[in-house]
Amino acid sequence: MFLFRTFILRRIREEKLRALATVLGVALGIAVVLAVRMANQSSVRSFETALETVAGKTSLEIVGSGSGLREERLLELDWLEQFGQISPVIEGEARASFSSGDREWLKILGVDILRDETFRDYRLVRFAGRQQSPSPREFLELLSDPGAIVLTQKLARRHSLDPGSGLDLDIGDRREALTVRGLLLDRGPARALNGTFALMDIAAAQWLLGRLGRIDRVDLRLKPEISIDRAEAAIAARLPEGLTVQRPSRRGRQVEKMLESFHFNLTALSHIALLVGLFLIYNTVSLSVVTRRREVGILRAVGGSRRQVAGLFLAEAGLLAALGCALGVLLGGWMARGALRLTGATLDRLYIRSAAEPVALGPEHLVLAFAVGIPLALLAALVPALEASRVAPTEAVSGADRVESRFRLSWRQRWLPPILSTLAVGFACLDSVEGIPLFGYAACLATVFAVAFLVPVVLHFSGRAGSRLTRRWTGVEALLANANLGGSIPRISISVAALAVSLSMVTAITIMIGSFRETVQYWVEQTLRADLFVAPATRSNVYSESSLSPEVVRVVADNPRVAAVDPFTGFVIDYQGRRVLLGSGDFKVHLDRSGLLIKAPRQGQSAMRTAIGEDAAVVSESFALRHRKAVGDRLVLNTDRGRRAFRVAAVYYDYSSDQGVVVLDRSTFRKYYGDRPPRSLAVYLKDGLDPEGVRAEILAALPLESRVFVHTNASLKAEVLRIFDNTFTITYALEIIAVAVAILGVATTLVTLILDRKPELALLRWAGAEQRQIRKMVIIEAALLGAVSQGLGVVAGILLSLILVFVINVQSFGWTIQFHLPAGFLLQSSLLILLATALSGIYPAFRAGRMPPAREA
Amino acid sequence: MLRRVPGGRFAPGRGPRAGLRPLVRSLMPPWSRIRLLPAAVLVPCLLAGAGWAETWRQARPGYRLQFPRDHASHPEYRIEWWYYTGNLADSSSRRFGFQLTFFRAGVRTRPENPSHWAVRDLFMAHLALSDLQTGRFHFAERLNRAGPGWAGASTRTYRVWNESWEAGLGSDGRHRLRARDGDFGIDLELEPGRQPLLHGQAGLSQKGAREGNASHYYSLTRMPTRGSIRVDGRDFEIAGLSWMDHEFGTSFLEPEQIGWDWFAIQLDSGQDLMLFQLRRSDGRLDPHSGGTLLEASGQSHALGRSDFTMEPVRTWQSPHSGARYPIQWRLSLPGRKLSLTVTAAQPDQELRTPRSTRVTYWEGAVVVTGTRGADPVTGRGYLEMTGYAGRPMSDVFRGGSGDQ
Repeated sequence: MFLFRTFILRRIREEKLRALATVLGVALGIAVVLAVRMANQSSVRSFETALETVAGKTSLEIVGSGSGLREERLLELDWLEQFGQISPVIEGEARASFSSGDREWLKILGVDILRDETFRDYRLVRFAGRQQSPSPREFLELLSDPGAIVLTQKLARRHSLDPGSGLDLDIGDRREALTVRGLLLDRGPARALNGTFALMDIAAAQWLLGRLGRIDRVDLRLKPEISIDRAEAAIAARLPEGLTVQRPSRRGRQVEKMLESFHFNLTALSHIALLVGLFLIYNTVSLSVVTRRREVGILRAVGGSRRQVAGLFLAEAGLLAALGCALGVLLGGWMARGALRLTGATLDRLYIRSAAEPVALGPEHLVLAFAVGIPLALLAALVPALEASRVAPTEAVSGADRVESRFRLSWRQRWLPPILSTLAVGFACLDSVEGIPLFGYAACLATVFAVAFLVPVVLHFSGRAGSRLTRRWTGVEALLANANLGGSIPRISISVAALAVSLSMVTAITIMIGSFRETVQYWVEQTLRADLFVAPATRSNVYSESSLSPEVVRVVADNPRVAAVDPFTGFVIDYQGRRVLLGSGDFKVHLDRSGLLIKAPRQGQSAMRTAIGEDAAVVSESFALRHRKAVGDRLVLNTDRGRRAFRVAAVYYDYSSDQGVVVLDRSTFRKYYGDRPPRSLAVYLKDGLDPEGVRAEILAALPLESRVFVHTNASLKAEVLRIFDNTFTITYALEIIAVAVAILGVATTLVTLILDRKPELALLRWAGAEQRQIRKMVIIEAALLGAVSQGLGVVAGILLSLILVFVINVQSFGWTIQFHLPAGFLLQSSLLILLATALSGIYPAFRAGRMPPAREA
Repeated sequence: MLRRVPGGRFAPGRGPRAGLRPLVRSLMPPWSRIRLLPAAVLVPCLLAGAGWAETWRQARPGYRLQFPRDHASHPEYRIEWWYYTGNLADSSSRRFGFQLTFFRAGVRTRPENPSHWAVRDLFMAHLALSDLQTGRFHFAERLNRAGPGWAGASTRTYRVWNESWEAGLGSDGRHRLRARDGDFGIDLELEPGRQPLLHGQAGLSQKGAREGNASHYYSLTRMPTRGSIRVDGRDFEIAGLSWMDHEFGTSFLEPEQIGWDWFAIQLDSGQDLMLFQLRRSDGRLDPHSGGTLLEASGQSHALGRSDFTMEPVRTWQSPHSGARYPIQWRLSLPGRKLSLTVTAAQPDQELRTPRSTRVTYWEGAVVVTGTRGADPVTGRGYLEMTGYAGRPMSDVFRGGSGDQ
């Protein structure tokens, strides 16, 4: 302990800044990992908690072909009474507008309270003056008007509502006025979703949500003596065609699966910052070892064992890491909110409505931070610590053991890069593991390490090249800077590697996003050909159940300037445990006017034509990849008429959903799923008409209370790209943090180098160098480090981006991205990095400049 | 009459304890309810032309009951029920009593919501089985809206059902009853037996002083029955006699009428007797008490308040509800020279129906002994007693002024 105090703690005190930078680096790494984890957890957990609380005592549920089942099918289910009670359920969403101007999405549960009261705990704040639990008939009475809705006490408090208050709900493209008839106590389903739960009678919910004749599912509460497993099997064996029995948790697992790739990729990204933080630990401990060889020698000479020496340095790493982790936990809790906000918008757009609040910081997160952070930090410090333990006592004390300052090609540098590169190529060729591109990430990691081990070699050669250049072209400061760096390759390699690695990631991701954006832009140009797009204002993502009412469709279709309308409808189905969008469009209108980009077969248009009116489907690329379906294969869908096989007529490019889309021609869809209201309309105008004008006409002709968005082609394209850019905000945020941590590493390295070079600097000053020149020299050193790192980063980044674009992206999202090198952006970011590293040299430069000239030498 | 004013069965607990009011409201016609609702909630366009002012039809003189047409449902009246009771025995003379009742209570004549789940009527059903050998009493209830067809009563042919329970007329003219709950149930075929007995004046049974507080009411009094019943998971092949009541109307009792005692008796003399008394809150008997006696010859006599006496002999207190029911009665019809002692075949035949009708009442098999003139007669039948636990039946079945 004494040793630790004098040897390590004193040193940390002397090198406060470096210690601080290291702690901060680790803290940021841990914080980012935690924040992303918490944000991910909240989106899945909020859904699952809501699912559980709303499911109540439901043990199993019967679901239909996709969006529910026709209500008369309930009559085929009377035999279920031997298993327990059943309760049909309608579930929907509506956006409530409050007098304050606030809006909140409500989850509406429509039930037959006569049957449902034993499934869920509905207790009212007050009823008939005092009772909290009305009888089913009284409750029915409360709910029986078409406009009756029961809200939660929590929501009512938030918006000062009382029984009797009016409530405006936006559903699809309509606004409906309802009346609050009661308030639920904070228990049972009312606890879900922060109180945004509303109860209605099944009849009122059917009418309100536009689902007359259909219910969403049938909840089943088993008799206590029946085991769920046995009941599930027995019911499955007896259910009529087109119906499926499942546990309510299956919907939770679907969502989990849907978000799996998104979450995995975010998590992977978040680990970059942690990785860089660990580089920082390695860096710090290495430098600590390098600068204290003499002390280590003395320690060994007076009887310190090798283990003690190694232990001391490991303890230093442990201490810094522990501080970093502690700070990281605090930071992480705070950053989680930001991460959730950044991912929330994406989740809302692309997947499901997400949670408003991140999960609370719990013991699990503390364990994660410390159990991951500290061991990894120790592992990172192990190499330099072992090196320290191998210091020969006498030589170090006598000064004969100079740290290796000259570059020498070690076996590591000789063999590891080629081995790692080979591995990277090998990994890149492997398939995903259950939809998760594990090997893709392994390939990235291998590439990154290969680059890291190449750094000394690159530094050596760039130093040589630099000396030729500087000798001829630049002033003495640059010459000295270059020479200094060339003389301390082993010390600076780690920092450069850390910076190069994080820069390579940034580059890779920039290239990937840039390519993706180009691809989407091209796709949008090709695919979005309609002049106008009409959708309900409440439509939030491709899975949204919001639909257009017949009046709106009529207004659009009846406009004399409209040449053709392609109504799109669809709903989410469960395809082998995954959420898939089953859609329908008018293939003929599509073929005549739109430019659906067909991936396969080559004769895409005619292949699509063969699907009209047939049991054939056109599937999105992501569906084809995820479910391994090719043109000509059959896919089996649950329809209203039972299970049916559909031929895959074509595979098309689609970037609207990574879960996969199956599209049927309108007539086929109607045959198997009945008439459904359209979710959106693609409107084609007669030639030469101004879309803005027609848009204004349509808006004017719509009923006053309609809530409809009419996009022109241009505004929709812009909207698509805006959503696209939003999606990647978090990616950039994570990257910037990683780069910041890496630049922190460069700065600390420079400070250390300068301290180490005290005598040399003094000599320079003595030899006539001005403070200004010393400062300039150090800043040039910093910029040179930045330049080398960025150079390496760009090269490695391009390699990584190939893996991202062609392996990871395809495996996790099933999207083909056309590779595109955003040269301008890369140039810009390179200059920026050069500037940033140069700036990071300012503080070390001033410290160096302040050093007094040597008195004697 | 009044028999089974089912209304009765709709009444909840005694005194101020149960929330009867919403129930009453739910049974009231729509325009009286509209005042309770903020008009804003009603979707205006649907209101227009929806026949909102349509009302329930009152039971009035002049309606001619016809069969089998009138076995079927009469949805234009607010309240309707079909009541089967019977005494059965298996080949080893093990005796059982059963009751199967279907209720329809109108809520709105024409709900504005086009959904099939919109509540026009509420459908309730009670099933009870008295296992006279063991003294055990089994009962169950059902409550449903029509929904996609979970419960209903058809208007063309006679069929009424509630989940898997049903009663109806087969093509052979026989009534078929099927109902099961857990490990007890019935599956019976009933021959119509004698001609339908029309109560009151040609089937119009006056229940209160006000015109319209009445019901159309007839009985099939002696229906040879066979089939099987299931008790405690065991099936018994049985035979015996059943009694069916069918009654429909819109408003029934008046405020002072708090309950009734109703008898359906088949005597071995070939006579069938329906007799009820309405009890008033002041302790007196209501003047609309009465009944009908059907002679073996087929001739029937309407019985007025003054044609009979009815007096409790022995009571039994329910350990479940605490209510005290007379389980032995002495009936006397001096003009018909009938003097009968009616004794419950077992004391505990009390139904408690918190979910559906929310009333507690006693309905059970009875054994009858007595004399007709100088000759001894025996018989079997069913007895129903309401208003002993809970509030007056009239709270539920009263026809308010709004009914006109």
